Amino acid sequence: MALPTTALPFLTRTTSNNTPGPASGYANGVGVARNPASNSNNNNNRASLSSFPPSSRSASQMSQTSRPSRSPQPQAQPQSQPQPQSQPAAAAIMSETDRTSDPSSKSKTASTGTAVSSQHSSLSAGPRPYDPASSRPARKLRSQYPRGATENHVEYILVASFDIDRGPVMEHQYPVPITGDEHMLAELMLPDQAHVRNQDWTIFFLHKDSSQEEDDEERRAKDERRQRRRRKQDRAKGIIHESDDEDDDEDEAYLDEDDLDDDLSTDSEPEGGEGPPLIYVLNLVNTKQDKTVKRGAVVKAMAISPPLLLLALEEYFKSPVPETLAMLFSAVNEMDLSLMPKLSLLERHLLQASDNRDLFVEKFEQMVQMRIAEDRGEGVPDQPFDASRSPPRRPGIFRSGTKAHIEGHSTYSVPRDTHEFESRVMYKGIPIPIKVPVAIMPETVGDFSLIKLIQTFSEPHGKSPHTFPLHPHLTTNGPNTHPIIVLANALLTQKRIIFLGHNLPSGEVAEAVLAACALASGGILRGFTRHAFPYTDLTKVDDLINVPGFIAGVTNPTFEHHPEWWDLLCDLPSGKMKISSKIEPAPITEGLVYFQQQNPVYAPLVNTSSSSSSSSSSSGAAQDLTGDAAFMGDILRSIATRVGERVIRAKWRDWVVKFTRIAAAFEETVYGASALYIGSDEHLETATEGVTKGHGYVWPDDVAKGRELAGNVTRIEGWRNTRSYYSFIQDVAQLYTVRPLKGLDLHHMHDRLRTQRLSPAHSKQIYFAFSNHVHSYDEICLLLSVAPESHAGLFYIALGLFHKERDVRVRTAALLERIAEHEAGQHWWKALSRFEKLAFVRIKREAELRSRLDREGGGAAVGGVGGSDGDKRIS
Amino acid sequence: MGNAFSLPTFLNKLFGSREVRILMLGLDAAGKTTILYKLKVNQEVTTIPTVGFNVETVTIKNVKFNVWDVGGQDKIRPLWRHYYSGTQGLIFVVDSSDHSRIEEARTELHRIINDREMRDSLLLVLANKQDVPGAMNPQEITEKLQLAKIKDKVWSVEPTIATKGDGLGQAFQWLSDHTKDAKK
Repeated sequence: MALPTTALPFLTRTTSNNTPGPASGYANGVGVARNPASNSNNNNNRASLSSFPPSSRSASQMSQTSRPSRSPQPQAQPQSQPQPQSQPAAAAIMSETDRTSDPSSKSKTASTGTAVSSQHSSLSAGPRPYDPASSRPARKLRSQYPRGATENHVEYILVASFDIDRGPVMEHQYPVPITGDEHMLAELMLPDQAHVRNQDWTIFFLHKDSSQEEDDEERRAKDERRQRRRRKQDRAKGIIHESDDEDDDEDEAYLDEDDLDDDLSTDSEPEGGEGPPLIYVLNLVNTKQDKTVKRGAVVKAMAISPPLLLLALEEYFKSPVPETLAMLFSAVNEMDLSLMPKLSLLERHLLQASDNRDLFVEKFEQMVQMRIAEDRGEGVPDQPFDASRSPPRRPGIFRSGTKAHIEGHSTYSVPRDTHEFESRVMYKGIPIPIKVPVAIMPETVGDFSLIKLIQTFSEPHGKSPHTFPLHPHLTTNGPNTHPIIVLANALLTQKRIIFLGHNLPSGEVAEAVLAACALASGGILRGFTRHAFPYTDLTKVDDLINVPGFIAGVTNPTFEHHPEWWDLLCDLPSGKMKISSKIEPAPITEGLVYFQQQNPVYAPLVNTSSSSSSSSSSSGAAQDLTGDAAFMGDILRSIATRVGERVIRAKWRDWVVKFTRIAAAFEETVYGASALYIGSDEHLETATEGVTKGHGYVWPDDVAKGRELAGNVTRIEGWRNTRSYYSFIQDVAQLYTVRPLKGLDLHHMHDRLRTQRLSPAHSKQIYFAFSNHVHSYDEICLLLSVAPESHAGLFYIALGLFHKERDVRVRTAALLERIAEHEAGQHWWKALSRFEKLAFVRIKREAELRSRLDREGGGAAVGGVGGSDGDKRIS
Repeated sequence: MGNAFSLPTFLNKLFGSREVRILMLGLDAAGKTTILYKLKVNQEVTTIPTVGFNVETVTIKNVKFNVWDVGGQDKIRPLWRHYYSGTQGLIFVVDSSDHSRIEEARTELHRIINDREMRDSLLLVLANKQDVPGAMNPQEITEKLQLAKIKDKVWSVEPTIATKGDGLGQAFQWLSDHTKDAKK
């Protein structure tokens, strides 16, 4: 789930690299910790932490035997929070539990809203009457961070300093000490060469050692919840309340949603079942000069979000007492994010993939309206805001930054850009603006830039192309594979990756590590941040190299001299990547052999380093079997035309989605089955037939499929058996339980419209499937998500307006009408061309005329005859 | 023999410089960082304890010395070993005026040079802080550090005053002379 560590884009983290020579000074590090998991048990506020995941766990995670079962009961998650998650960007130590696993918060998700009927989306339904409620989620909107929630944005504040005699030491911990290796924490907080910089920042993740007791407690909590849920269900099913039936239905749907959400929450918990929550620590190091100190220098570090830390650390230098920390602690935790609406998974996908600043602005307005109502003492309006009586925008709510807003002095405002929620922290009377991202995907931690990462490694490659030694998992396009693709492949196949930034502030290597995690994740795959060490140094190298597959940031160039420590070294200053001379060769796997046996025609194209590698792989590279060369070309052109970070992230997301879909197709081809896609034919019955029955990735023809699979075989085989592969299988299974339209692969059908030449009969089936099944709010969200604005939006759906058969045209028009009234769909509708809109209007008018004629003529026969007539007339 | 030495020298002059990787270790406050920056910017700089390491490239008479100066506090000494691989010359800096810790210095020095990865490295001991009254001279340092016990290694002791730069030129000349055969 959301993990609002992201952003603060506007905050300056002035990392002034002053003279390279040593200077006398203080360096201070301040750390802020957040660990909400421990909240519910107040007596258990002390968390035992280590910076490395327990190796036994990661090892077992790797093994085939631990393949997650698809049992309906999600693996036990630490779920002890009484309230929804609450850590904003300002937090420095944050727990990963927040992202997901709190069922009580999830269950209240307003915005997962679906029309009541859509929950299990029976596909047998024919065309349903138009339901105006589909334009909005049916249930009440909730806050991501409700007012009055008990837990904090920030859990701990730590101060470490570099002691001349003892090295890094922990100076203060507020409000209570974190257990675990204090010395290790202090080391993490004081990066190498802190003494040559005035300021630096890092981020690191701590792994909570959950003891047996805690596990038990979690299990108890979970059982309790399950019982409570069962009670609720019983009540909803059996006992009739005094309220009327309608209300009851809604109640029931709501409760069902709870359960599903509970499941979703565990599944969307990015590290599902992978272990105890991660704690995020944002860290700032300051160096101040003081000639009076022994050897003229003191180095200190504090961890929390950079802008605040800056002020707080200044303050701390003046008065290094715990009270200074207490002030900071309360300032951060008083930040109000209660007006930030909570979005469902599909809504978050849409928001992330869209560049539209107005998308879901209605939700922010509703939040404000609810708040105004509350403030007037009307109490919380418990009934959902339904679309039919969408309240008019009241005076007093303005988009922030607009003239009206500034002049109006209104208390509440709606953000300028719905991607970011604006709040502020009052610190010593100074309001510090904070922007918290509204839709956060797994593995998106911190304020990084994919564009920056891509540019860093693309520019040197553009000038003089790298020639990599071949490795089947990495160099999928031959020796001249683009370095970014090599990096993505290394992440997918769980290699040991090091970002080296000699003489760079540790903050820069940390940023690269976080960007790399997001690159390979795309918000889809996970398991990267858990094994990321955004900044680490030599002191932890012995532990580091025991982690199977990691992404680490370092500034010490001695790492380069130890190729046995890494598989891929990414040197930030030079923008060069190196594949280690000691990298483990890729094994010849069954899947690879099967593929080559089954597809003798494409076998020579497979990029194995062993057999006649130079000729085959270079020919493969020339042909760009994977399409990655073309993809990188597009990415670089997009960056050159100054598209935003969001667009680039969306493109990478598409790349990751495509990879997983190709992998699913590969597994089905080679092994006959794949857990990477669940289509479940049992739901289908007669509702789907012919083309709508298909699923998965769509190729124009079999040759294209064979070639693309051949290009991908090695990295898919390398990906199988990795943490991200197993957690993806888990996610697919759990997502399936909450997804609308289970039997249909909308993505597949839309892709067929997009990439294949279909006969009118075939396209008719697809258009009918869309119009028959896509009705509810969530169903429309799902359809929009497979037709993102960046991929021509509704263009291919709107082509149905020009179909040969009148029926298809009319039904498509009705579908588009539903989309146009949908909260998100309206923006897609607006992007349609005038030509398409004119066709829509014409078809609507005709349909109305027809129905009037039908009423007047009063005969079904007339309609039937008219149908064929109409076809002839128009076509 | 004479030819063997003169040919590389000739080539070096022709092709500019060669690179030598130097690792500089020693107890804390021995003067490592001061030496590094005296060489680099020819200035006496006020140093603070090194958090981690410094690395600079210093060119002396066409030889590029890639000098790694690693912090000497006892807490971070276990990290020294990570810098061994590929090191051609070890500079071990001793505070000649610190009689109380010369034993500690000896232990650390012998631990370093007994490491397998350091077997091909030269050893240059700098008897630093010769300007401090009561400082041990190079001969005393040689004895206290038990350098005579060292087998199969080319070593030398040079007296230096890092803050003034005294002795540093000679020291690096020695390194330059003795790394000529190095492959890199």
